[in-house]
Amino acid sequence: MTRSERLHQWLWLVLALSIGLSLASVGLLDPARLGRGAMNISIFVTALFPPNPRVLGTVTKAMLETIQIAFAGTMLGFALALPLALAATRTLMGPTASSPARLLLALIRTVPSLLWGIIFVVAVGLGPAAGTLGIALYSAGYLGKILYETLEGVDPEVVEAVRSVGCGRLQLARYALLPEAANHILAQLLFILEYNIRASSIMGFVGAGGIGFYLLGYIQMLQYDSLSTALLVTLLVVVAVDWLSARIRRSVLHMGAAVQPGT
Amino acid sequence: MTFAYPGHASVLRELSLVVEQGALVMVVGASGSGKTTLLKLAKGLLPLQGGEIFVLGQPVRWPGTCGRLDRRVAYIPQHLGLVRTLTVLDNTLTGALGRAGLLRSLLHRFPPQIVQQAREVLDALGIGAKAEERVYRLSGGERQRVAIARALMQQPRLILADEFISQLDPATAAEIMQAMRRIADSGVALLVTTHDFDIVGRFADRVVVLREGKKVLDCPAREVPVEELTLSLR
Repeated sequence: MTRSERLHQWLWLVLALSIGLSLASVGLLDPARLGRGAMNISIFVTALFPPNPRVLGTVTKAMLETIQIAFAGTMLGFALALPLALAATRTLMGPTASSPARLLLALIRTVPSLLWGIIFVVAVGLGPAAGTLGIALYSAGYLGKILYETLEGVDPEVVEAVRSVGCGRLQLARYALLPEAANHILAQLLFILEYNIRASSIMGFVGAGGIGFYLLGYIQMLQYDSLSTALLVTLLVVVAVDWLSARIRRSVLHMGAAVQPGT
Repeated sequence: MTFAYPGHASVLRELSLVVEQGALVMVVGASGSGKTTLLKLAKGLLPLQGGEIFVLGQPVRWPGTCGRLDRRVAYIPQHLGLVRTLTVLDNTLTGALGRAGLLRSLLHRFPPQIVQQAREVLDALGIGAKAEERVYRLSGGERQRVAIARALMQQPRLILADEFISQLDPATAAEIMQAMRRIADSGVALLVTTHDFDIVGRFADRVVVLREGKKVLDCPAREVPVEELTLSLR
């Protein structure tokens, strides 16, 4: 056996031991516990059926609120992200402005949307307003980064040519960077909207509005048949939004590809 | 003027050049001879490392990577730098950003006289009928005209054009150069880089030959020795 083969064997052994130790320390190598878990899951799954049709109206209304939280949050997030992204774009601004803007975006992104939800419940009280603000802030952090990376990726020759007319930075953004990056920005906006629909459906766990409030309530009150109705409605909306968003993004990116240089 | 990119040998070495009002000067040289760098220095897109460049009696200063550039000097890069998703008219209006008000231009509310002027420039260049078309739908020759229209909207005193007709068929290239010749005749100075001999002989007033960053020839176009041009491209 060569030295390299022995090293490989050791590496595999270390990897296997690490996985085993990790599983044992989180309690997943306890057969009695796993057996109980499997039984509980089977009871839970049995209790989910048949779904309770009486809560359909309530759940649908809550789902609409979830969609509103996601949509308003995404749009508000975009409105916050755009100026920050312009300040963070090195094609437009020097490091004096771009570095603090990047740092701020990174800080916003560090906090998960659910935690933003809790912060805004404290700030503005229970309800969809807190959820919308939570989603908006998280989206601003994510979109801001995507936006400035996209704007910096614009063909440098286009930037030079438009800069050469003697325009200012905002004019450069308005007439070169944003139109050139528009298709990519739209595709990213749809992607984050799709993500936010999923994120908004658990905002209710922390009292920030939407269907999450009912999901948690049905679990706590052991009303699993009502829970399954809520889950089915959520699943239906998520699948529909995924499908629609993927279609629009494909067509937008296809349109973008048609305007690349040399076409 | 002298210039070198970081970590590289000098691109331009003690180059001296005068472009007079109404003159069409063509710079010929092989790839890497410093043609593009020369134009970028004249535009203020790169910082000079030695020497000085004067445009209309004022020194050209590098305003940093994000600063505002002199609108009286128009620059047409090799691949034109048009915004492909915008219309022909919008690309042309972009040329007037330096003199349209900030707020009006951001709201896309250009003064009517500027819009009228843009349409007249497009008409004069023969693409007025395509003003509302998006640029990605245009042919190569039509795009060159849009780039020229954008440059003219700057009301420039000097136009710098970097091998911008190199990808055109000979007939279209000749048409574009005729338009450039008329612009020069109207009193604008033109500095155009090329490697097309035919174009040089037919349209230029003066020819400057660069080799490895040094000027090796500067003479009236009619007197230029063909052997020297051939040699310059090796």
